Amino acid sequence: MPDKPMTPAARLAKYWFPVLALILPLLAVVVVADLFGSVMLQRTVTEALIRVVVVVGIYIFVGNSGIISFGSVTFMAIAAYATGWQTCCSMLKPITMPGLPEFLRDATYPLFPAALTSVALAALVAFVTGLVLMRMGGLAASISTLAVLFIINVVYSNWESVTMGTASMVGLPRYVTAWIALGAAVVAIVVAWVYQKSPLGLAIRATRADEVAAQACGVSLYWPRLLAFTLSGAVMGLGGVLTAHFLGTVSINFFFLKLTFLALAMLVVGGMGSLAGAVVGVAAVSIIIDVFRRMEAGVSLGGTTLALPAGTQELVLAVVMLAILIFRKDGIMGGQEFHWRGFRGKKAAIDTSLAGEGPK
Amino acid sequence: MSNLVQILVDAISLGSLYALVALAIGLVFGVMKLINFAQADYITIGAYALVVPSASVSPALFIGGWPVVFMVAGVLAVVTVLALLTERIAFRPMRNSNPATLLISSFAVSYFLQHLVILVHTGRPKSVGVGNSLSAAVEIAGIRLPGNQILTMVVAAVMLVGLVIFLKKTPMGIQMRAAAENFQMARLMGVRANRVIAVAFVISGVMAAAVSLLLVVQTGTLDVRMGLMPVIFAFFATVIGGMGSLPGAALGGFIVGFISVMLQAFLPADLRPFRDAGVFLLVILILLVRPQGLIVDRAARERV
Amino acid sequence: MTGKTQQVLEAHNVHVAFGGIHALSGVDMRLDQGTVLGLIGPNGAGKTTMVNVLSGFQKPTRGSVVLNGQDVSALGPQRLARAGVGRSFQAARLFRDMTVEQNLTVAGIGTGRGGRAAARAAAEVLDWMGLTRVAEKRCDALSYGDERRVSIARALALHPAFVLLDEPASGMNDAECDALMHTIAHIPERFGCGVLLIEHNMKVIMGVCQRIHVLDGGRSLAEGTPGEVQNDPDVRRAYLGKKAAAEAHHLI
Repeated sequence: MPDKPMTPAARLAKYWFPVLALILPLLAVVVVADLFGSVMLQRTVTEALIRVVVVVGIYIFVGNSGIISFGSVTFMAIAAYATGWQTCCSMLKPITMPGLPEFLRDATYPLFPAALTSVALAALVAFVTGLVLMRMGGLAASISTLAVLFIINVVYSNWESVTMGTASMVGLPRYVTAWIALGAAVVAIVVAWVYQKSPLGLAIRATRADEVAAQACGVSLYWPRLLAFTLSGAVMGLGGVLTAHFLGTVSINFFFLKLTFLALAMLVVGGMGSLAGAVVGVAAVSIIIDVFRRMEAGVSLGGTTLALPAGTQELVLAVVMLAILIFRKDGIMGGQEFHWRGFRGKKAAIDTSLAGEGPK
Repeated sequence: MSNLVQILVDAISLGSLYALVALAIGLVFGVMKLINFAQADYITIGAYALVVPSASVSPALFIGGWPVVFMVAGVLAVVTVLALLTERIAFRPMRNSNPATLLISSFAVSYFLQHLVILVHTGRPKSVGVGNSLSAAVEIAGIRLPGNQILTMVVAAVMLVGLVIFLKKTPMGIQMRAAAENFQMARLMGVRANRVIAVAFVISGVMAAAVSLLLVVQTGTLDVRMGLMPVIFAFFATVIGGMGSLPGAALGGFIVGFISVMLQAFLPADLRPFRDAGVFLLVILILLVRPQGLIVDRAARERV
Repeated sequence: MTGKTQQVLEAHNVHVAFGGIHALSGVDMRLDQGTVLGLIGPNGAGKTTMVNVLSGFQKPTRGSVVLNGQDVSALGPQRLARAGVGRSFQAARLFRDMTVEQNLTVAGIGTGRGGRAAARAAAEVLDWMGLTRVAEKRCDALSYGDERRVSIARALALHPAFVLLDEPASGMNDAECDALMHTIAHIPERFGCGVLLIEHNMKVIMGVCQRIHVLDGGRSLAEGTPGEVQNDPDVRRAYLGKKAAAEAHHLI
């Protein structure tokens, strides 16, 4: 089987195909929702696209490093508050959040620079916490990400003069449309892809596959994880900014265990071994959530309204997640990307291996 | 002076509570490398078993209304059966998965159980009057101590001693320690995995039941998240103690309890709400100095 | 890169104790660039522990590891790999969800090459090992023999000054084993590195090694040319005295 050299165009197409296979369907959904959908549907689509950013953000660390992070939504909170402080309610700020430093309390900043600085702050916080957490081994690091989640939650819940405590900061400009969310999702997906295909991405995937062998290959267990954690923090920050300007409110308890569970469930259902898994997981779980949300609201059948008890959605989600973990550990996508050849890739490889065995 | 003694007693009593939870988590981790989030819900459900399901904030007593012996036995039975059920349905099929997968699956089990409680009892906190008489202060050597703290310490001490005797003296306990040391090897030597793991879950259930009763007696309230904070703190207890080491887990539990009480006692009033953040921060600092934990378990280190 | 100065990897009086068990007791060893040193001994002799010490995975309880005159005992495995000490493992420990080529590229990246350069170096090593045909294959789809060969190739992709091979032929049949030994014998001239080859079958490595070091019970029993070692009275006593047991274990 001679290796035929690929033309640069073919190589480019091969490189970007898995990304396009994720982005184009998202684009199609947005176009359809924009043209034909109700406002409700558009909001649902926007929400799902923001989740794509969030889950891809978690994936960048969890998927590539193999270390579960329960703390990633913290970086959403950091960025959401940061953009809130910069853009929200100039009249009320001095009263509701008197503890803010002057440059935030008495000024309002344009939306885009505010988003960028908020993302940068999230990345910085991720970097600093990562400096400490990534020194620990896999499981201890996982547990310690919980500490980050709780520390920020406790601090923001009680730092009344700056965060309004557990009350919601309201009145943020609501500029996030489906198109803006799509743009952010594309950015997140491209960042994740370029990173995972880069030498640095290969290095961290080696640490995921086998820590011992990775070290024997000269790969540090620390720096690649720290980088992934920071990059993940930045994308989570983007997700936080979007959430803030989609809802128009920011409240610390939104960024806590429930969101953590939702994001991890999406990642697990899609399969945390691949970028495609992250995106497919969002789609699958968003559909489940939406269906059960409607059924909890009640379905009218010939005059009588049948409704599932509130909370069914959460139970179903947990069961789906467990079922995936038990019966299809690598999720819907099984750790695969959407390659040129689609799903045949892995099977074909096994077939040729059997055929190709024998003396050299 | 008596103030200091009181602080010390607080620390020991909270520490022993965390030590119980940490031991339960450490025991299950030892035999199947599972860090069990659902331990929180064992505790919560044990407490909720005391009352009749309803939307009321002061619900009628169910098991909680039984005579003490039956009440304790009832809660023990509920929680142990629950622990065994989660093991059988959720964790056993995943036994050969890696620890990260197990961790995330226990997160899902916990989420399920928590929302099951909400579905049955609603999410509102409830008050429940069980063991009120125990909160009366008892005077010992001129120092007045709340009865429930004494109870906590006594129960914890009895269970710690019982666990040690079980692990050192009974065949099942010895098998369990062998399994924790090297599971494959233990299996080859005839340790029956299913039984050892089931027993570990039973013990973790018994400990959870004890903790839920102690919490109810102390606070008189039921809350969907009542098990969460003890378990989160216990996670860190096992991590700073050194994962896989049972003495480490107990030690870690006491350390976390001490830190928590000391911060509560000595932080300036306006910083007191940040106490838990301080606990976590200190825990992380300990881990910064000793990333492997205080007692490094030989089996936890991977062989090359 | 090679040939500037002759590099040397040495172990000085290395002791390793696990609890009360002495895995190594005062072992001296010297590995020169451009040579193949055989490390033999029965199971439990401390061969793998020695490789772990030399590659930074095991800190010696006493004694030191010296690379070109510098004490490197305190360096971790990753730093030693970058300093030029590559190794393979008894269980191949490939990155199973990656292709063969990616496995080797990781080693290139780990030693500070850029992605392109690492891929090119990987291709060269694969070509030399005759593994180009499986370059694009995922490692969980490899045959057993290929798995073993890829693990050697990955160690070579570090372009190390020294490569430590831990029973590379274990589980192979005689023909595969002979072919592999032939390949290993040519590693020094192709890559300019020194090879430490663990094997417990003395016959297998006789023709491959310039020198052989015999470990037994954590102590050095003998070191010398294959001929010297074969005729060493201590070695003969240790091995031939236990002939019945030895045959069962393929020691000789």
